[in-house]
Amino acid sequence: MIDLLWLIPALPFAGFLVLILAGSRLPRIVVAVLGAGSVGFSAVVACLIGIEFISSPLVKTSFTRTVWTWMSFEGFSPSTSFCLDSLSLLMVLVVTVVGFLIHLYSVEFMADDDAYHRYFAYMNLFVTAMLVLVLADNLMLLYLGWEGVGLCSYLLIGFWYKDPVNARAAMKAFVMTRIGDTGMIVGLFLLYNSLGTLEIHELMVRAVRDWPVGSVMATVAAALLLCGALGKSAQLPLQTWLPDAMAGPTPVSALIHAATMVTAGVYLIARTHELFALAPAVQAAVAVIGVATLLVAGFSALAQQDLKRVLAYSTISQIGYMFLALGVGAWSAAMFHFAIHAFFKSLLFLGAGAIIMSTHHEQNMFRLGGLRTQLPVTFWTFLAGAASLAALPLITSGFYSKDAILWYAWSSEKGSVWLWLGGVAGALLTSIYTFRMVFLIFFGEARTKVYKRPGTAMLVPLIVLAVLSMVAGFIELPHTLGDVRLFSGYLGAVLPPVPIPPGQASLEGILGIVAAAVSVVGICLAYLLFLKVPQIADRAASTLAGRALHRLWLEGCGFDWLYQRLLVFPFVTIARINRSDFIDFFYQLAAFLAEGLHQGLSATQTGRTRHYAVGIGVGALIIIGMAVWL
Amino acid sequence: MNAVQLFALTPLIVLSASSVVLMLLIAFSRRHVTVAFMTAAGLLATFLCLPAVYPDLPQQVTPLIVLDGYAVFFIGLTLAAAFALVLISYPYLQNRPGRPEEYYLLLLLASLGAAVVAASSHFAAFYIGLEILSVSLYAMIAYERWSLMRLEAGVKYLILAAVSSAFLLFGIALIYAQFGSMEFSAIAARAAEGGITALVGSAMVLVGVGFKLALAPFHMWTADVYEGAPPPVTAYIATVSKGAVFALLLRYVNQYDVLASPQVLLVLTAVAVASMVVGNLLALMQNNVKRILAYSSIAHLGYLLVALVAGGALALTVVSYYLVAYFVTTIAAFGVIAVLSTSERDAAPIDDYRGLAWRRPWLAGVFTAMLLSLAGIPLTAGFIGKFYVVASGVSSALWLLVATLAITSVIGLFYYLRLVAAMFEQVETHATAAREEPVGSFAATAVLAVLTLLLVVLGAYPAPFIRLIAATVSF
Repeated sequence: MIDLLWLIPALPFAGFLVLILAGSRLPRIVVAVLGAGSVGFSAVVACLIGIEFISSPLVKTSFTRTVWTWMSFEGFSPSTSFCLDSLSLLMVLVVTVVGFLIHLYSVEFMADDDAYHRYFAYMNLFVTAMLVLVLADNLMLLYLGWEGVGLCSYLLIGFWYKDPVNARAAMKAFVMTRIGDTGMIVGLFLLYNSLGTLEIHELMVRAVRDWPVGSVMATVAAALLLCGALGKSAQLPLQTWLPDAMAGPTPVSALIHAATMVTAGVYLIARTHELFALAPAVQAAVAVIGVATLLVAGFSALAQQDLKRVLAYSTISQIGYMFLALGVGAWSAAMFHFAIHAFFKSLLFLGAGAIIMSTHHEQNMFRLGGLRTQLPVTFWTFLAGAASLAALPLITSGFYSKDAILWYAWSSEKGSVWLWLGGVAGALLTSIYTFRMVFLIFFGEARTKVYKRPGTAMLVPLIVLAVLSMVAGFIELPHTLGDVRLFSGYLGAVLPPVPIPPGQASLEGILGIVAAAVSVVGICLAYLLFLKVPQIADRAASTLAGRALHRLWLEGCGFDWLYQRLLVFPFVTIARINRSDFIDFFYQLAAFLAEGLHQGLSATQTGRTRHYAVGIGVGALIIIGMAVWL
Repeated sequence: MNAVQLFALTPLIVLSASSVVLMLLIAFSRRHVTVAFMTAAGLLATFLCLPAVYPDLPQQVTPLIVLDGYAVFFIGLTLAAAFALVLISYPYLQNRPGRPEEYYLLLLLASLGAAVVAASSHFAAFYIGLEILSVSLYAMIAYERWSLMRLEAGVKYLILAAVSSAFLLFGIALIYAQFGSMEFSAIAARAAEGGITALVGSAMVLVGVGFKLALAPFHMWTADVYEGAPPPVTAYIATVSKGAVFALLLRYVNQYDVLASPQVLLVLTAVAVASMVVGNLLALMQNNVKRILAYSSIAHLGYLLVALVAGGALALTVVSYYLVAYFVTTIAAFGVIAVLSTSERDAAPIDDYRGLAWRRPWLAGVFTAMLLSLAGIPLTAGFIGKFYVVASGVSSALWLLVATLAITSVIGLFYYLRLVAAMFEQVETHATAAREEPVGSFAATAVLAVLTLLLVVLGAYPAPFIRLIAATVSF
């Protein structure tokens, strides 16, 4: 079974090929079956392989299989190899299972769209690229998947390309992530040049062997890889593309811009964690960036009116938590939060999609309200996701994953009180904005009519994800609450545990209680400010300082404004001045020369046989002359 | 000649016998489909003989013919190409006026000539094979004798080929005068003597070979003949005829180590550079698709010459692979032209291809794949071929040739992509004539599909095929 590893990415790719080539001529039902079915089959294969892998001794190491060697020529043999270990298996399972649920949801959500087949083709291609990214055994192949998901993200943000706003959002996402990718590809060059391989395992071995901790090379290489991770995962200072990326269809936001692609940066750092451990300065930067991002995005989420934008900022903020965990060396806590986040955030996006569809594309939360009774299933599942996001203590998965991160932010050798404080402040913000959203949409008076209710294909994924958001966290419990270590034990073969200085352990319980209290306080505050006595919030927002702050947060803390002034405007101005680039002149000269030579040679093609015969004669003379006299 | 040697000759005997059978068949039955079927069957039967005789090889059969793995490979390639062209010719000829049956006879005879050339180890065998091939080709080009364009192309080819044959014969005579033998092995044994007579002779032989391969400066006929001949015949000239002659050239170069002589090296380098430059520049602004492919073939033979000059053990593999890729691409490209041609005229002007992707997407897809392969875009067979040529050039430090190849490939990209762009153009209201679907166009479609598949497989996963070449192709 495990030999069929290649099948996992191959199935969605086959779906993509069929849909893109013949999709426009297939009936919609066939398109839906192919689109969702290929990913579903892939998920089944992934689960079967996962079961076999976990129950075999391979789980302690890894399984690598070369699926394709393009050519082999004097030592140059570019090959495609997939590597399965506990980390990539986790990613594969999340990508295929969540991916399948979102595909299933899309079958109904996109049912009225004219470009049905195009949508599923892109989605299948995305799943393929994401699987290649996580299964790649070398950084070059990983980069192929990395760019592949970027392309699909671009295509799907701009899916409704006839509206220029969407096309612009797609372009922004592409360009912003490209800035990070440029750093990353330079990092790959550097790694290959100094260590002589891009095969990840071998690369890490050589890095640890050749580079001492804190050496310049290790720092530069890790920093360059971090650039790529920051762009893809929408972290400060490259986070501005993600809120605009909500221009795409909502299931796309759920799959690409919440559950999978944006966490690729987290995966990259976890995958190359040995390298980051060699560069303590960069790793500290990861933690600081994570905290800064989670705070900036948390404040921004607080002021948004568009439901999807709240979720977008919340995604940025939650990935900030993952970066915080990576920064303090809590690798498996980061991956744990990734998995749980994938469940509840895609659930929230899918719930948002159900709301938006039911109310004829109403995304402004202030024009929604009282939907609790009209959309009961959506309400309960959305509530489950929101509770998990707000880390409601004890009963939600989100509590356990976030609690672990906060605990390590304090207790790890690389952690500090300040990081912990930032994380806790973020947790407060999170539960406020989350329940602000819940109260505005589902409680209060009804401000919009429900035109249409979601059907089975949309409800099933909601329910499944809601269950996962609640219970999936119980595979990893803190010492104080049962001490279950299934998850970190499982990842232990790839990701080392966090070293905790002695004497800290006793704090775990207290910190957990603080985190739990913060979450509950946040929910109460949200209830007070946005449902019970909204006047307080209104009055605060109407003061001069309140208005300014509200505007700042609404605009995502002004990064777009800053970049527009600082980078885009000067760049465009320079480009305009240099419109007739003088370097082009040389190329035009080359083209002109080629055209002139073509004209000259064409003149010899007279079509007269006698001229041609002379040509042969002269050619013969030249050749004989060369042979004899040279 | 003993029984084993006679047995080794079976493929050539079966091919000759099929020609005779076909001739008798035509005398009694003028059913197009029967004749085409018999031709295909004859080619297939000959092809099946190859694995049967392979275990006993190599065999020197009389001083004239040698059957070794190398010969078997190129005979097989010839037969496969001829087979594909029969399937492409059938619907094409079905759609045209006149009796098509003798065309197949000529095609079989030409294939016999090509097979003899590929297996010859003696100048006499080479010359006879070449003439069987050429004479059949004259008739094939001018087969539709009511068309002035075909006649003009046929006569041009006849006259110029005669000129080049004269050079070839004179060259052979000079070599004979010096060495007293026309056997390649005997010549090779005395090659160290050198001498001006043999040198001039070799140069003159090169003129004759260069003409057949359409290498610059003997390339002038190419575009006119390509344009004038029916598309399947053009494909035949471009592939089988050139492939067999190139196979002979490589065999000759390998036995008689001419590359050791600096003059020959210089001449071959000059011819290769001239072919690459002239071919690509001539195609640049050309608006006739058949002429574009003609000029592009000049350039491709120039690329092949780079691998030949690089020499070494690698040259055999590289040339074999490149020729296969070139055969696949060229046959499929002319196949598309044949399918698009109407009963009145060939689909040669570039305007016929504007917006093709929207009218006939599959056909445009096949043509696009072929053009990309000719341009050497990765994941096509053309890329691997070009990669190997460059690699062998680099490993022999032929910097001038490699640089020329790189620069002219960029020029080539322009006209290939220009054609692709034309196919994907959005054409306003196009007054498309009712599509003629001649009988048996299924065969041509199937050939195109198989060739496209082959192109991608050879480009994406060439290793098994390269292993096959390395195992088969040896002297």
